Amino acid sequence: MDDPQIEGIIRAIRLADRAGANRIVDAWAADSSYESAVLHLLTPALETFGELWANSGGESSLAQGYVASKIAEDILAKVLEERQRSHAEAPATKGPVVIGNVQDDYHPLGRRMITAFLRFSGWEVHDLGVDVSPREFLNKAEAVGARVIGASAMMYTTAKNIQALRDEIERRGLTGRVQLAVGGAVFKLRPELVEAYGGDGTAASALNAVVLFEDLWNRSLAFTAGTAHAERP
Amino acid sequence: MTQADPPVVCIACSIFQREIQHLIQVKAWDVPCRFLGSMLHLEPARLEERLEVSLEGAHREGRRIVLAYGDCCPRMEDLGGGEAVSRTQGINCCEILLGREAYRAMRKEGAFFLLPEWAVHWKRVFKDSLGLEGINARTFMQEMHTRLVYLDTGLVPVPQAELDEIAAYSGLPLEILPTSLDHLQASLKAAITRVSGHE
Repeated sequence: MDDPQIEGIIRAIRLADRAGANRIVDAWAADSSYESAVLHLLTPALETFGELWANSGGESSLAQGYVASKIAEDILAKVLEERQRSHAEAPATKGPVVIGNVQDDYHPLGRRMITAFLRFSGWEVHDLGVDVSPREFLNKAEAVGARVIGASAMMYTTAKNIQALRDEIERRGLTGRVQLAVGGAVFKLRPELVEAYGGDGTAASALNAVVLFEDLWNRSLAFTAGTAHAERP
Repeated sequence: MTQADPPVVCIACSIFQREIQHLIQVKAWDVPCRFLGSMLHLEPARLEERLEVSLEGAHREGRRIVLAYGDCCPRMEDLGGGEAVSRTQGINCCEILLGREAYRAMRKEGAFFLLPEWAVHWKRVFKDSLGLEGINARTFMQEMHTRLVYLDTGLVPVPQAELDEIAAYSGLPLEILPTSLDHLQASLKAAITRVSGHE
């Protein structure tokens, strides 16, 4: 990574210096635009930080992850303001997707980081918060036409509730059409639980979740296209 | 429990140490206890190692085991579900003390719970381990929670100075909640019934 501004943003994240990262992006945007800053500075910085986080073996702190997500939110807000001022047309939104902590799980940070990064990447996200029942997940997914549900669970005890979410997807006949992304500390430490509890995929970090959601969205589209083809007389 | 039954030992988080020792003192609990430091919660892998060593030691002694812990590390279910082991029901120490309904209700309201041992060591938890300082600490805590709730089991003086520091650090209002040991006692008794078949 040779770009001093990108390195500066990564350094600011590692120091949990939200204001410092914003100053670097603001300086870039003053000569260019926030849209451009997202493409040339922030996205590569966050991707690099995401890799460092995923491979850190627990050395990265909660504060660093939190600040990274806040920086993404800050810059997204500036991009939206910029578009409004210039009356620029917003790029097509991806999704919608539904996100939440599973029933009995009250650890919101990872979920909120993923919401921030998904929205930053242009996804329409319906964030249901903590302690979400399978019925609430599926009611929202059906209401908005979501093809991906993201379910977060921090501990083994609450991760078991993801099975109930999988059962609800199957009960409603939505297997394949609705893909289930699962995440949380327990899945990093025990990846075998993803499949065991009916998840369709997981990501090593909140930033990697964006790639996961793209993949699962495409899987859903392929499933429904395949189903429609099979049903043709 | 008959004389022929294997003896029981309790392996507990030190977050409960004063409370369990009080129950022993008032003769509401008579199982010997071994305590592991509550700060191990910040290092789940190390906590697992220490628990495995403790459990192996107790097994070698031919004991049945009550594990007074929440779901505090990724393999806790395996450790707590082993032969001759029964863990207290509850996702964490706060639920074990408050009972499931009260815990869930307050968590949904955004309560952040503090117990005596962690209140005294708050800087080690929040600053050293989580890396939260200054404005980041305040924005994080206020985004994730609505208030601090100190669970006062009445066995030590309320650490008011430390609680005031945490309130200033987080920008959250503080509530001191008198908390009985009824739920803890019930949870321990239920665990010993499961592991021994007797109360």
